[in-house]
Amino acid sequence: MIIINNLQVSYGSQLALSINEPITFNDGDRIGIIGSNGAGKSTFVKTILGLTNYQGSIVTDLKPEEIAVHMQHNHYASTMAVKHIMEAILNTRIKNNKMLQDLITFFDFEGCLNKKYASLSGGQKQRLTIILVLIQDSPLVFFDEVTSGLDFETRQKLMTKMGDWYRDKNTTLCIVSHYYEELEQLVNKILILEDGQVVDFGDKDQLFYNYCGKTVITLDNTPKNTELTKNLKKLNAPAHLIALSCPNSELEKEITSILIKENVNYKRSNNDIEIMSINAKAHFSSKKAGGMKNEEKTA
Amino acid sequence: MKKKQLNWSLVQYELRNIAGNMFVIFFGVIFPILMSVLFSFIFKQQVPKEAYSQAVTSVFITMSMIIPMAVLLIGYAANYSQELEKDIPLRLNLFGFKERTMLAAKMLAYLIFTTGAFALYVTVDFIMLDLQIPKLSSAICLIVSLYVLSVFLFVLSHGIATFFKKFGPTYAVSMLLYFGFMILCGMMGISVDQLPKSLLIVAKLFPMSYISSDFISFWQGGSYNFIPLIQSYLFFGAVCFIILILSIRKNQRVIK
Repeated sequence: MIIINNLQVSYGSQLALSINEPITFNDGDRIGIIGSNGAGKSTFVKTILGLTNYQGSIVTDLKPEEIAVHMQHNHYASTMAVKHIMEAILNTRIKNNKMLQDLITFFDFEGCLNKKYASLSGGQKQRLTIILVLIQDSPLVFFDEVTSGLDFETRQKLMTKMGDWYRDKNTTLCIVSHYYEELEQLVNKILILEDGQVVDFGDKDQLFYNYCGKTVITLDNTPKNTELTKNLKKLNAPAHLIALSCPNSELEKEITSILIKENVNYKRSNNDIEIMSINAKAHFSSKKAGGMKNEEKTA
Repeated sequence: MKKKQLNWSLVQYELRNIAGNMFVIFFGVIFPILMSVLFSFIFKQQVPKEAYSQAVTSVFITMSMIIPMAVLLIGYAANYSQELEKDIPLRLNLFGFKERTMLAAKMLAYLIFTTGAFALYVTVDFIMLDLQIPKLSSAICLIVSLYVLSVFLFVLSHGIATFFKKFGPTYAVSMLLYFGFMILCGMMGISVDQLPKSLLIVAKLFPMSYISSDFISFWQGGSYNFIPLIQSYLFFGAVCFIILILSIRKNQRVIK
């Protein structure tokens, strides 16, 4: 569907995105795009949409109008009711369009139709764009931080509804998000970006296995737990957690039995994107640092 | 998602967008009527009875230019720059609307709105004021002049808004031009021939000056040399299109 290779995007003298190895999106892929702020996620989306100046190649059989996108910030005119905006964008009448009516009901948007865009809440604004994007039925859809700024409950509801909508469809989805638990439910591939560079891209489970092992056990980073786990293989983790890698079921059983015996709360996961991405980035940084040292040695 | 063509829904959307801007409603629709009626009351006391009808008709012709200037120069520039600031045109573009389709819908909507404002202005003024009935050719001449002016002002506003991409500077420049044109072209109580010589030279570059000062001379018949008017239109049109082209070039994306 889309192949990206040797891509470079610069803003002035600053290199915002650099992709050296080819990245391929196939039909039906569900791709989570993650990275810290300024990692190049939005630049990546904008570049595929043709909104930035770039060097390199983006090969696709899709026409620009076949790509739908929910941008990070979406604005509409506030001079009229939202229903008129929807009807103009879709060139239809809500009363004559069954699919649109279904989507409006699906996203509980009926009460917002007569409101102006400026008077909608954050969640309602997001739902408006989601409805307009979903009804396009495009083969490739980008969602750039669709749930940022929303409360936990609204985020959960939105993502569940989006998941339900795309469940039996062959649409390729690219979801940029900082909320990893949302991606765990929706995606099968992960693209990790850091400082404008690709840390890794591939199958979610495979990446987890590569960086974390078979499973990961996380527990609170307390002195007692630190002492308890001092001889076990640890992964990089957020400061408040200890993450233990379990390359096989035997070790996992051994660790969990110790934790149960010591009455320690823990969480087991075989798809924790946060721990996986932290370790992928650490691996990438050390590889880069090693490369630089080698270059220095050669020089 | 299909490529979106120009359609009536989009034009309706733009019409609602214009009608939702209270500035355009007041200054583009109500203000010219108020001004022409106000001047007619003033003239009733100051102008001899035999010249009154002609004086009021002259005001009617002059004030008719406030409609395109307020709706297109100020209203459109303000509205579109606010849209650009919020990336609304980009959002519509990502929904499959080409820039030229959006531009065509906007121009159509603004011309429809301006037509409505002209119709209301003519109806109210003909009912309320003692206006001279024009010769058909003179009326057509005014209508054509106003529509060409409307299109040029649309192009100028689009260029200014696209150049700055921000409401503040766009509004400042369009207001400066609006009042500049009003003063130079006889819409602020000083007629064009009363201007100092240096300003008169500048005023003669704009078609609005000829409409306000000369159209009354052939309103009910007579001959008129249209060459200076056409020249001023060519000059003004060229300036408007150059500004538009410069603004597009400034914001052009370069694919390397």
